[in-house]
Amino acid sequence: MRDTFVKTLLVEAKKDPSIILMTGDLGFGVLDQFQKELPGQFINSGVNEQAMMGLAAGYASTGKRVFVYSIGNFPTLRCLEQIRNDVCLMNNSVVVVSVGAGYAYGSQGYTHHALEDIAVLRALPNMDVIVPADPHETVGITQLLASTKNPSYLRLGKSNEPMIHENEVSITPGKINELLKGNDGTIIFSGSVGVIALQAAKVLSSESVNVSVASMPFISRIDLDYLKSAVKKGPLVIVEEHSYRGGVGSAVLEILSTHGIIARIALVAAAQKNLSQIGDQEFLRNVNGINSESIISKFKALTAN
Amino acid sequence: MEKIQTPFTNAAELALAARHEIIKMTSVAKASHVASALSVIDVLSVLYSGSANISPQNLEKQTRDIVILSKGHSASALYSVLALQGFFPIAWLADYCKNDAPLGGHVTSKGVPGVELSTGSLGHGLPYGLGIAMSRKQNGVPGRVFVILSDGECDEGTIWESAMIANHHQLDNLVVVVDRNKIQSLTFTEDTLKLEPFADKWKAFGWQTEEVDGHDYRALQDSLATQKAPKCIIADTTKGKGVDFMENSVLWHYKSPSSDDVTNAFKQLGENY
Repeated sequence: MRDTFVKTLLVEAKKDPSIILMTGDLGFGVLDQFQKELPGQFINSGVNEQAMMGLAAGYASTGKRVFVYSIGNFPTLRCLEQIRNDVCLMNNSVVVVSVGAGYAYGSQGYTHHALEDIAVLRALPNMDVIVPADPHETVGITQLLASTKNPSYLRLGKSNEPMIHENEVSITPGKINELLKGNDGTIIFSGSVGVIALQAAKVLSSESVNVSVASMPFISRIDLDYLKSAVKKGPLVIVEEHSYRGGVGSAVLEILSTHGIIARIALVAAAQKNLSQIGDQEFLRNVNGINSESIISKFKALTAN
Repeated sequence: MEKIQTPFTNAAELALAARHEIIKMTSVAKASHVASALSVIDVLSVLYSGSANISPQNLEKQTRDIVILSKGHSASALYSVLALQGFFPIAWLADYCKNDAPLGGHVTSKGVPGVELSTGSLGHGLPYGLGIAMSRKQNGVPGRVFVILSDGECDEGTIWESAMIANHHQLDNLVVVVDRNKIQSLTFTEDTLKLEPFADKWKAFGWQTEEVDGHDYRALQDSLATQKAPKCIIADTTKGKGVDFMENSVLWHYKSPSSDDVTNAFKQLGENY
């Protein structure tokens, strides 16, 4: 996803010299091409995320679109107040880009796991939180972010994520992208966990339970129409590689509750029982309860009610 | 029609008028930080009376000089100077901190002409100003960026992160003025977290550094006039300057002047300006 992001941004930045890519000294081998081709639009500020985010906001205030790139918690939690005051309050044209969503940097340890970022960033006013499902969605979303001005947060996976969509998808801000249609319920996911949502749907389908599966990349502007029709037809399971507290599932529950919609909903998210557990992404997803088995059992529990 | 002030060209006259406004505002609003405002007001007066190329007439120009008051708790000082220089009606000062009024207790940019950045949390103004200076330098846009810091604010890591970045990129369009009044929130800076040798620190970070009397208009004007690298002016100031009972006292970081305090302060400053 990160390579697709950088490649797409490079194409856009060649057309629009106001696009700047800034990094806090990360992206070895990933940002090289961009730096080589557009050195005047590339800034490595050093290892200093707080100053970097203020710098990005000030730079953006001169009429630039600044993409600030780093790993997981570094361009988000480390410099949260700079995002809050200098980007969101001042409404500066900054896109915070994190790589390594969820357990993508699994064996690197908890410092490198991004599990609270959606909750924290979606609490900020003016902030548009966006979580693409795969490289195809990343292309359209990067193009969208290159052509808009508002403060945004782009949460990317890392590398070699499977394609969820067969082809490039057209991105409509605020819209859910449906992958499968079924009449018995819905599984909604955000990010690269789409693959386990599709696995779960396949197992359910072999038991003659047909569910819709859909990617929800826009967390700050939620597709209420889709949700309304989804919960009307059956249970809804929301899958994310993030803490239960305040993430995508919480965002959906908030909006449905606000609209007085009572529905059968379950969340599949990170249990975070042992923060120090080491392992690769798949291992850590499994031990934290983010897998197709969890989706299936939670879906069935809702059906049984 | 609301009264728009005729701008001052003399820093001393502007500062004297602003001192009166600051004391009135903080008294009426029962607001804190009067001494912090009196400490920095001479620096602001020098900048807005000619040392910085900024006026109500060039506010929309991309090449104007930028002034950022990073010590946002001295809002009454910035607002007074902006009102006196005609950026917005002087009557706004009377509504300082009132419900739904434009001027809040910490520097607020929205709806307030002349304010470049909302501040109040320390350590934000310098990275932001750095970003503007870097963009201008890389894109050949003239105009300097002045960022005013408190000395206590230099406890923040972002100050030194920014100091390194500015030097690395040779930003000779960025000026820091530190309001070195030697008092911070609870006590003296040197008893809280030692800053000294303060000038040596800035020099070691590659900044052209000058120590000047922060209440000497001519000295400030001279120091602000030239630079050949990122420049740090350590303005040696007195907290509460101009009102003897407010000078050098932590208490007046918080206390709001009573009406008697205002009368006594005005006696010292001179009633008319």
